[in-house]
Amino acid sequence: MIGRFMAAEAEEPIVQIRELFKVYQQGEINVTALNGISLDITRGEFLTLMGPSGSGKSTLLHIIAGVDRPTSGSCHVQGIDVTALNESELADWRNHNVGFVFQTFNLIPVLTAYENVELPLLLTRLSSGERRRQVQTALELVGLADRQHHLPRQLSGGQEQRVAIARALVTDPSLIVADEPTGNLDSHSAQDVLTILQSLSRSAGKTVIMVTHDPKAAAYGSRSVHLEKGELSN
Amino acid sequence: MTLTGFIAKNALRNKRRLSLSVTSVAVSLFLLVVLQVALRELTNPINDEGSSLRIIVRNKVSLAQPLPARQLQVLERIPGIAAITPFTFYGGLYKGDEKFTSFAQFAVDPARTLPLITDAKVPREQLEAWLADRTSCIVGKMTADRYGLKIGDRMQFTSQLYPADLEFKIVGIYEGTADDRNVFFHHKYLDESLGNPGTVGTWWVRAASIEEAPLVTARINQAFANSSAEVRAESERAFVLGFVSMWGNIQTLIGGISVVVVFALLLVTVSTMSMAIRERFRELAILKAIGFRRRELFAFILAESFGLAMLGGVLGVGGAYLLCNSLDIQKLSNGLFLLFEVTPRMVGFGFSVAALLGVLAAAAPMMTVARTSVVEGLKTLD
Repeated sequence: MIGRFMAAEAEEPIVQIRELFKVYQQGEINVTALNGISLDITRGEFLTLMGPSGSGKSTLLHIIAGVDRPTSGSCHVQGIDVTALNESELADWRNHNVGFVFQTFNLIPVLTAYENVELPLLLTRLSSGERRRQVQTALELVGLADRQHHLPRQLSGGQEQRVAIARALVTDPSLIVADEPTGNLDSHSAQDVLTILQSLSRSAGKTVIMVTHDPKAAAYGSRSVHLEKGELSN
Repeated sequence: MTLTGFIAKNALRNKRRLSLSVTSVAVSLFLLVVLQVALRELTNPINDEGSSLRIIVRNKVSLAQPLPARQLQVLERIPGIAAITPFTFYGGLYKGDEKFTSFAQFAVDPARTLPLITDAKVPREQLEAWLADRTSCIVGKMTADRYGLKIGDRMQFTSQLYPADLEFKIVGIYEGTADDRNVFFHHKYLDESLGNPGTVGTWWVRAASIEEAPLVTARINQAFANSSAEVRAESERAFVLGFVSMWGNIQTLIGGISVVVVFALLLVTVSTMSMAIRERFRELAILKAIGFRRRELFAFILAESFGLAMLGGVLGVGGAYLLCNSLDIQKLSNGLFLLFEVTPRMVGFGFSVAALLGVLAAAAPMMTVARTSVVEGLKTLD
């Protein structure tokens, strides 16, 4: 009985996008980045967004993550229309529901790995003990508990990206968005990062949405979506 | 880690820039406070209880014009006057001083002067010796200490105003007045040296009470109105301020320099903060993305800017305080400055300027952060 409910919940879309348009104004020219996209992403899915440069994949990722707003259309994440939230509500929503992983890692250089991971928790009401436990867990998940006192410059690129993943995980969000997370890594480190993202989807039930150019990276995902000139091509 | 710790780590990330910025703020605030101290010293005469009672009576035409000595009889009949003495600035160059003697010498009537300088502490036997000897003088302790003078020593002066070079025997050393630098000697001695011209430089009057002082001033002016030697009586404070006006518009000059210092300081701090934020634009976008609100980012920027300015304030204002209070400024300035003290008001002013700088310097980076969306910030990443 319980298993059936869980299975039903797993099938329920965590992201529902309907008729999403995004038009940028560049001088006097209107550039259509997204042209009526409709897409459902189910809970626990590892979706990869592929397509050539300028196809709108990063724009779509940003709207899902609540850092950009569409020109029209709706984007519901866990039943919440993120396009209707104001800036302050969006910031709070992102802190609790979205983990970000970027191509260039973007760790704060003056903070240790531990402090970088702890950063999103400073916005919560957790005690320092609770924060410590969550940071340790996140660092252990990415295999970097022994590097927690290292500064970013003392880590390799792959280790930096794993710290960034730990930072994305530490608030236990349901959604992890990754914008070309392997773009700056060697193949071995890229494999490590992709394996972690895959296991987060498969074992921890996180929904992972990853933008990539690399078909090998896309192969780690459970589903791949291609964008072409702001439209879904398959 | 705490948010305060995060702000501190950010502020300390570029130590060379931080130390240069803090130093520039500190040096500018030091200069600003020292200018305020100098301005106060030059424009604000010492105001003690005695000076509120004392009145200076001078020739209405000019301070350089003497007054007839016979005016004394008229002055003595004016109600409300408790004491009166002739008071003539001798303008002597002390033997050994080449161009400038930093202490004044006044010819007075010793018996009449004592009630006018009630705050002066002089041993009774020294006062008696002064009253008894027409060529004697009493010297302020600051001057005695500076020149290593003691009782029994002689002081030789060359007057730059009168054709009479005088020599005095020191019989007393006084202290406890607001300005323990002056030399007082017998007016009779000066009169005799000049051939008894029957004139005095000014009259020095003490009113019976503070309430009566303005009335006494008016009565004196009225008593000599339309006479051959009209007078201008004014409080000692007003008289000293009249001297200050002879410095020219020094207040405007120092005020102008202070404004320039503050403006330069503002540019330095704004530039530093703008550089610091521009360098961290990527990071601020990431912080926004992971959930930090605009107001929290504003608080980071403001705290860093405010901290930098206040640290400069502590060093600059504190440095000025320590320096002014530890140096013998009277000796260093050759007697030009007497106290040269940093008052609590100046400390408050210095820190207010620092606080204002901290807030103003944060404004521009805060506006930039407010105007930039997360996506615009993220676009700078790749």
